[in-house]
Amino acid sequence: MRKHIAIVEDEPALRENYSAALSRQGYQVKTYGNRLKAMQSFTVHLPDLAIIDISLEDEAEGGFDLCRDLRAMSAELPIIFLTARDSELDAVSGLRLGADDFLTKDVSLPHLAARVAALFRRIDALKRPDNAAQTLRTGALSIDAEKMQTTWNGAPVTLSLTEFWIVHALARNPGHVKNRQQLMDAANVVLDDNTITSHVKRVRRKFQHLDAAFDAIQTVYGMGYRWVG
Amino acid sequence: MSIRLQLLLIALTTLVLPWAGCQYARELETTLRRSQEYSLQASAGTIAHALAAQPQSVLRDVADAQPFATPLGDVYVYPLNNQPLLDGYREDWGLAAEPTPLPTATNLRARLLAGFADRYLYVYLEVDDAGFDPEPADVHPEHDRFDRVDLSTRWPDGALQSYFFATAAEGLIEAQTLVHGDDGVDHAAAEPRIQAYWRQTSHGYRLEARVPKSLIGSRLWIEASDGGSNARAGFMGALTMRGGRIFSVTPGLDTLLTTFIGPGTRATVIDENSLKLGLAGAVALASPEGQPATERSWYRRFVADDISDWPLQVAAPDRVAGNNITAALQGHGSAEWLRAAATRDALLSAAAPIVVDGRTRGAVVLEQAGDQLLDLRDRALTHLFDLTLLATALSVSVAFGIAAWISLRIGRLRQAADAAVGSDGSIRLQMPESSRSDEIGALARGFERLLARLNEHTQYLRTLGGKLSHELRTPLTIVRSSLDNLESEGVRIDQRGYVTRAREGTLRLHAILSALGAAARVEESIKQAERVSVDLCAVLQSAVEGYRGAFPTALMELFTPPDACFMRGAPDLIVQMLDKLVDNAVDFCPPSGTITVRLARNAGNYELSVDNDGPPIPGAMLDLLFESLFEHRQGVDDKPHFGLGLYIVRLVAEFHGGTAAARNRADGGGASFTVMLPML
Repeated sequence: MRKHIAIVEDEPALRENYSAALSRQGYQVKTYGNRLKAMQSFTVHLPDLAIIDISLEDEAEGGFDLCRDLRAMSAELPIIFLTARDSELDAVSGLRLGADDFLTKDVSLPHLAARVAALFRRIDALKRPDNAAQTLRTGALSIDAEKMQTTWNGAPVTLSLTEFWIVHALARNPGHVKNRQQLMDAANVVLDDNTITSHVKRVRRKFQHLDAAFDAIQTVYGMGYRWVG
Repeated sequence: MSIRLQLLLIALTTLVLPWAGCQYARELETTLRRSQEYSLQASAGTIAHALAAQPQSVLRDVADAQPFATPLGDVYVYPLNNQPLLDGYREDWGLAAEPTPLPTATNLRARLLAGFADRYLYVYLEVDDAGFDPEPADVHPEHDRFDRVDLSTRWPDGALQSYFFATAAEGLIEAQTLVHGDDGVDHAAAEPRIQAYWRQTSHGYRLEARVPKSLIGSRLWIEASDGGSNARAGFMGALTMRGGRIFSVTPGLDTLLTTFIGPGTRATVIDENSLKLGLAGAVALASPEGQPATERSWYRRFVADDISDWPLQVAAPDRVAGNNITAALQGHGSAEWLRAAATRDALLSAAAPIVVDGRTRGAVVLEQAGDQLLDLRDRALTHLFDLTLLATALSVSVAFGIAAWISLRIGRLRQAADAAVGSDGSIRLQMPESSRSDEIGALARGFERLLARLNEHTQYLRTLGGKLSHELRTPLTIVRSSLDNLESEGVRIDQRGYVTRAREGTLRLHAILSALGAAARVEESIKQAERVSVDLCAVLQSAVEGYRGAFPTALMELFTPPDACFMRGAPDLIVQMLDKLVDNAVDFCPPSGTITVRLARNAGNYELSVDNDGPPIPGAMLDLLFESLFEHRQGVDDKPHFGLGLYIVRLVAEFHGGTAAARNRADGGGASFTVMLPML
């Protein structure tokens, strides 16, 4: 059965472009221009994945409300947030809306497709039993690459998809310095340096939330970051 | 011209007050003079009327209106204050008058002076007669020839009496008269009541005679004759001519006049010949005779009227003269300002005609000093001057004070305006004086509004980059995602070039937008930055290591203190700042040049400098380099530059409480950018 993706985006050109790209990947795509239309449709039939713009027509944060409502309807439904500016990423992440990923709108279509695919893979993986072979362990960290689940000292760390890929890229080769470009490639995004920095900062904060002494991600100034496990 | 000077000038215009005061004083003086003229003229008129009512006590002879005529033998007899000594000298007469020449048809010259003293008529006669012809011992006046002086008088009833003076030698003599003898011949007989002194002089003789008034009638003849030559001077033919009249002051008139006048006024009554008939009172001149009026108020120098063109008082012992007196004698009373003959002081003379039976028979002349007016005026003027000078001084100092206060405030405002826009581009919105309600306060508020608008504008410009970058992002994303789709749909091989170029274009556009928004992002991240303890040495070593990898062509050197350099800061920001500095240095450094990163401790600061071997920076730009959107690069490279790099350096330095500065290296071999970060 073809996966059903809902795109809620008020910019028609973008909407159509995203839709075309994802349709080409074999997904069934439905697009909505505002929150009301999207909700009317969602109450009838839930999509398999939703891509939501934060600002919707005259509702500057209409996407947040939509996400909250959608999450109330389904705990597992993957949700990708699109933001107009990098600086909103922090805010969006801080809201803990239960979204699975946060992206800026200038993400390239192949990258978007990659993470949509990744999120569907995770849904599938979650339905299967645990596969220890897929689990990466280093120190207190344990990463399930298929289910994209991360635990620190056994406690789950809720990371967005981008964050997960950054952590995964770092932890796979502890001690090795990954520069920003490498991290972006791993996360399937094109971001500027500052945004990588703030992603890393957020990741650290999430770990520190569980373990105040967390210091596994080191900044190597002028070069990048490395996992010290 | 400074405000201080302008207000001073305005204040000085109060000097017009003393000037106006002078004008007023002049007016006042004119008015006072006019009123003095009127009142004196009125007094003169009153006196004249009173005198006209009793002409017999004024005039010599009410019925006789014939003019005074010396050629006909008329004599003015001066009133003498005391009886002179009979000695042939007239110095003791106390008269300033000169003897009057007697008419003569020959070459004999004689001069006459007459005066009344007490009960006597005094006659003084000077005769120029070189040869003395003495009186013979047994004189026969009818035949003998000798030097003699004849004096004849006639009473109103027609009785005639003649006397003659002659002597054999100088000395005290008696007059002689002819007495008809029993022999039918006239004999000379002495008249002891009439005494005289005959004094010989080098060129003639002088006779000083004393005649009791009782022996003098209403007419008088006086004649001198030379015994040797038969020459005569004086009045011949006593019986055929009418005889000289005796003009003099009217007895009792002085006393009468005294009752009319007040102090400080001199009254003179004259007859139609201008001869004095009576005199009373004295003029009180302000300055003593002979002493010029220098000790008056110094203001007088500025306001004194010029009286030098006033006529001088004509003062003669026997008569008074002047334009107004001439007019009065013609029947028109008037007053005239004169200068006193002796002191040149202002003198007012008022004359009024004495009209008897329709004929002007004389005049009353009143004289008063004008100086009492001056005194009055001086007192007023001195007061005025003192007051206005005080007022001027006061207003000048007040004006000066206000001017100083105003220029102080304006200066304060100007300084604040100069400093309103700081070197870092920040704008101080508060101006001094803005709470005041006057024009300067309004000006200050105007400045504040201007600055507020400027600030808004500056803020707008600052955020413009970020806004632009944001607004352009969506269309750019549309283009890019469209390109993505186009490529996925499959592009013909011959079309691929266009797609590639379009994609390159979007990449460049993206880079431009990122650069434009960079400052806004840094400002954003500065807001969220947390300070931690940072070892600058470690950060620099790590970062420079990274730069060596990133810029393999540049030779990069790092000098740090040997020990750790800890400070409280945001290492990410510091590295970002270093990125910009190194970026900048790499851009300017020639291929074989060296980039030197140096960290040193300097007076409580860490001094972080990045030098390059590039060309020096023009001096005027050194201070502007760290401004937002300032870009001075001339070269073209593939990276977009919006002059934000060094602005970010400044932002980060300031976040850490430090400063950023650029200078050219002393050796001229390159530029050096230095950031001072407090150690804390």
